[in-house]
Amino acid sequence: MSDQSQSSPVLDCRGVSVAYDGTPVVDRVDLGIGAGETLALLGPSGSGKTTMLYAIAGFLPLSAGELWLAGRRVATRDGGEPPERRPVAMVFQHYGLWPHLDALETVAYPLRRAQISGNEARRQARGYLEQMHVDHLANRRPAELSGGEQQRVGLARALARRPAVYLLDEPTAHLDTALKAELQDELARRRSVERAAAIIATHDVDEALALADRVALLRAGRIVQSGTPTEVYERPVDEWAARLTGPASFIERDGRRLMVRPDWVMPGGDLHVTVEAVRYRGSHTDYTLAAGNDRLLARWPGPPRHEVGARISVGLTSTYRLPPSDDR
Amino acid sequence: MSNRPALGGLALAVGLLVLVPLAALVGTALDIGAADLAAGLGSTGGPVLNTVVTGVAGTLVAVVAGSAFAVLTERVDFAGRRLLRVMMLVGLIVPGYVSGIAWLNAYGPAGISDRALGVQLPGLQGPLGISLVLGAEAAPLVFLLVAAGLATRAEPDLERAARASGASAWTAFRTISLPLLAPVIGGATAIAFVLSVTAFGAPAVLGIPAGFGTMTTRIYRDLSFAADPLAFGRAITLAVLLAVAASVVAALAGWLLAPARARRSGVPGGPSAVAVPRMGSGRLATAVVAALAWALVLLAVIVPLVALVLTALTRAVGLPPTPDNWTLANFNTVLDTHAWAAFGNSLVLGALAAGGAVLLAVLGLVAVRGRARGVAAALVGLSFAIPGSTLAAAVLIAYGPLLRDTLVIILVAYLAKFWVLAFRPLSAALEALAADFGRAARASGADALTAARTIILPLLWPSLAASAVLVFMFALHELTMSSLLYGPTSATLAVVVLNLQQLGDPTQTAALAVLVTLLVALVSLPLAGRLGAFASARWRG
Amino acid sequence: MATLIVAGLAVAACTGPATSDTITLYTSVTQDTVDAVLGALAEVHPELHVNVFRAPTGQLDARIAAEQRSGGVQADVLWATDPLSTESYAAQGLLRPLSSDALSVVPAQYRSDNFVGTRLLNLVLVAHAGLAPQPAAWHDLTDAAYRDDVALPDPAFAGSAFAALGYFASAPGYGMDFYRQLKANGAVQLQAVGDVITNVANGTQSVGISLDKSVRDALDKGSPITLIWPQPGAIAVYSPAAIFRSSRNPAAAATFVDFLVSVAAQTAIAGTGWQPVRSDVPWDKSGPALDVDWAQVFGQQQQLLDQYRVIFGQ
Repeated sequence: MSDQSQSSPVLDCRGVSVAYDGTPVVDRVDLGIGAGETLALLGPSGSGKTTMLYAIAGFLPLSAGELWLAGRRVATRDGGEPPERRPVAMVFQHYGLWPHLDALETVAYPLRRAQISGNEARRQARGYLEQMHVDHLANRRPAELSGGEQQRVGLARALARRPAVYLLDEPTAHLDTALKAELQDELARRRSVERAAAIIATHDVDEALALADRVALLRAGRIVQSGTPTEVYERPVDEWAARLTGPASFIERDGRRLMVRPDWVMPGGDLHVTVEAVRYRGSHTDYTLAAGNDRLLARWPGPPRHEVGARISVGLTSTYRLPPSDDR
Repeated sequence: MSNRPALGGLALAVGLLVLVPLAALVGTALDIGAADLAAGLGSTGGPVLNTVVTGVAGTLVAVVAGSAFAVLTERVDFAGRRLLRVMMLVGLIVPGYVSGIAWLNAYGPAGISDRALGVQLPGLQGPLGISLVLGAEAAPLVFLLVAAGLATRAEPDLERAARASGASAWTAFRTISLPLLAPVIGGATAIAFVLSVTAFGAPAVLGIPAGFGTMTTRIYRDLSFAADPLAFGRAITLAVLLAVAASVVAALAGWLLAPARARRSGVPGGPSAVAVPRMGSGRLATAVVAALAWALVLLAVIVPLVALVLTALTRAVGLPPTPDNWTLANFNTVLDTHAWAAFGNSLVLGALAAGGAVLLAVLGLVAVRGRARGVAAALVGLSFAIPGSTLAAAVLIAYGPLLRDTLVIILVAYLAKFWVLAFRPLSAALEALAADFGRAARASGADALTAARTIILPLLWPSLAASAVLVFMFALHELTMSSLLYGPTSATLAVVVLNLQQLGDPTQTAALAVLVTLLVALVSLPLAGRLGAFASARWRG
Repeated sequence: MATLIVAGLAVAACTGPATSDTITLYTSVTQDTVDAVLGALAEVHPELHVNVFRAPTGQLDARIAAEQRSGGVQADVLWATDPLSTESYAAQGLLRPLSSDALSVVPAQYRSDNFVGTRLLNLVLVAHAGLAPQPAAWHDLTDAAYRDDVALPDPAFAGSAFAALGYFASAPGYGMDFYRQLKANGAVQLQAVGDVITNVANGTQSVGISLDKSVRDALDKGSPITLIWPQPGAIAVYSPAAIFRSSRNPAAAATFVDFLVSVAAQTAIAGTGWQPVRSDVPWDKSGPALDVDWAQVFGQQQQLLDQYRVIFGQ
């Protein structure tokens, strides 16, 4: 492996397209990730996130472009290396744990494939299970594990592969809220420990913003915007991206369309609004405020302070003017 | 995305097994010439009409009984519901010709009902009897399909939604479930028709002695019994006709039952696990209906089987089947060298057919991926719809010169007909096997072969084994093709039973029939719980 | 699994071609008799292996005809039920003339140049037990007393019934009119000889025409029937054995045919209830028999069947 690993990308997608029956599902995507970097692929279902991951892993062929992993070219439209030879590991949406193998054997599987012998493989596998805090479940089969536990075992299996890039396909999509939060914590912690790169495909914007160094917005197979979490949250490239990256309100001011995030609305100011709806969310409350024809979404900490129908004054700490559509 | 060598192997196998014989059949039909075919057709009006009559009547019986039973056991709560389901499925195990013999022993002249109550079923050896037995034979399959439809398409939750909107139980069923079930019932009807029209066992046992011929028995007679060349042409004509009719109706069934249709209707997320909603206007109505159902099962399944056993135990023909006339001598007599040889043949053929069918099915699964798999499954399903009579005639023409009178030619016919039995359930199992399992293995460093060996195969193993058992069971059952292809050393058990029946000793015939049924039941024991799902899986897409 | 299949195929394929010690027998003789004879054969000629295809006469006819059309009869030896069917094969040139000295032990009226009788079947009357009055002669079957009550076997299916047809058609005092009278009296045509016994035992019909051994067997087991030896005699049918011209192993075939008329085989045959054709094998179960003038009937087989079908339908 080249010693330019610090500067050259670990994963480099150049104009990658993946087609299904002639229709492009991933359309001329350019992506690069450096060592230690986590990229979130954020997009609604059907936007091509999973397809992109599968193409990187080698489960799908490219219809155009090139794929480079760890400094070597692994795929073009004429073919590519099989999955087992690419330095990637995958964590699946539905866990992908094998029903007939217990947790220990599941994590030992990639070690065996790497020619590590029985006992040594099991010893190392136990280590990975410990890292994920599920070593006490070593002898359990998937049917005996909860969703969160299964996903941890899946993560341990990916760790055992020791890849250059981790591919996580909607890792918390099928976990209930508490487990989701737990796993996201785990992933966040992992990120600071590992030096490997990771791509997380998700439709959950909170997850993307929390776990990634960079976020790429995927729409119908094309990357619409790529930037830091702050960039995509505060300066989305269009209205679609704005809605994708968080709750957004749009108002007309001086003939221009402005985006307002809920945390940019403050009580007290020269905007007179009527409270239309109140939704208590525990740590904060969301309010839908009507100002003439515009609707504003506000989010303030604590329990509800106003009732439906109340007339209050608010101010905007910031607004963002979306780039005009003909600029793109 | 497909696998070239596997595809090649598959094409070769399908070609040899199905396409070559069919081509030979069509070729011979063309050789015989339109004029002779038409002449042959002229004298076949009788059998064709008889086939249609018994086919339609049998279908009616099967659909009404099967659907009613399905609704009853799936939607109404009554005592012995589960047992009734099991009884219904017994019909799947008993071969058609055994059913015919059993019904004769139960309701025919000097049968159980005649001796006990002086009551015979008039017309048992004729269209009425044949239709009833055909109906009883196809009813379990209709039952399975409709029951599955009730669970997945006409989901209980949908009916509950109707109830919560103010409909009575019956209205909810009538306006919600029934329309959703319509394609399933339509498909089941088509299948029952194909089964009834291509059946040989019941018409052979009940029709031949009375001179009532159907297309299948006519083909049998013309190929095995007739000495004049015209008969051969007649048989070919009938075989082709039968195949065309069956294929068309089977295609219709496939279209009606296709999963695509299922996905467009019904509720995402799968059937709910909540208990069966109670239907019916009260305890009395439910009890009456349940009693009726039990009476039907008693008359159609239990009594004939009991009669069969009693006849097998009777010392001599003409004596009442009372305990003082019981003996095991018939079983002894009937297990002569010939029967043992046939037993050996049946076992060998069954095992080879089971192994071969599974291998071919795996080949098919490996060779064809994704969308093409649906097409392959459709083709393969069509090959199952080809009537046994036609397939046997075709195989005889194509491979007769080389393989006649050997076990191999019978094996070819079995494989051509039964490999579908393995393909569909395996295909379904493979689909159900999350694609992620294979991918996870690949992404963990295993190449395709290792992934198949360490992950896919172990997980698929139960389905493989069950498919093999299913094919084994069908091979043991099989009479239609065996009766046309057997030779001095290759008679199967079913053929021996048929020949015994034609020789006119009811006690010995019953004895061997009981033994054959026991054998089939024994073989299908491992399938026990999955029998229903498997048998109907071959028809669902 | 693959090796299992290959092995199985190898085994299966071996059931095809014949070795020098294997012959194929087409027969309509009852299974128990065939088994008994083969058992005796194994002791005298252990090197001779016989593949048996057993079917009723009608089915055998069809098989032979089909094989003729497609390249030649596949069997070596024929062991049939009645001379009429066998003679028509001889007339078609399918049989090889017999020349063995061993066959001279069979009385001349029970053999010809191309086939030799091996046992005698007696067509008799079978009646339901307790039937009164019982028929005594063949002509009684046309009596009003047995209207709609007579069961007959099918000549197109059973060789013995075919032989009976041959007898009645040519015998003075009977002719095809006999069958017309039977039909007018409501006689029912069944299929096999066994069917007649079944129906009579069950009482569906009270009386029928059947074979002596079959009736005796059923009687022994306890069926409520009686065997009536008709007057003036039972119709004696001899069961011919012949060698096919297309046989690939005529020497072994001849050995088998010779064996059939040997004391060992004839004893075995008698043991299963058929009258042996050799007079030096003990037999005491028969009464007077009517011999058929087979020569007179040879050549008219198809005619007879057609005439019969006109009367009884297809």
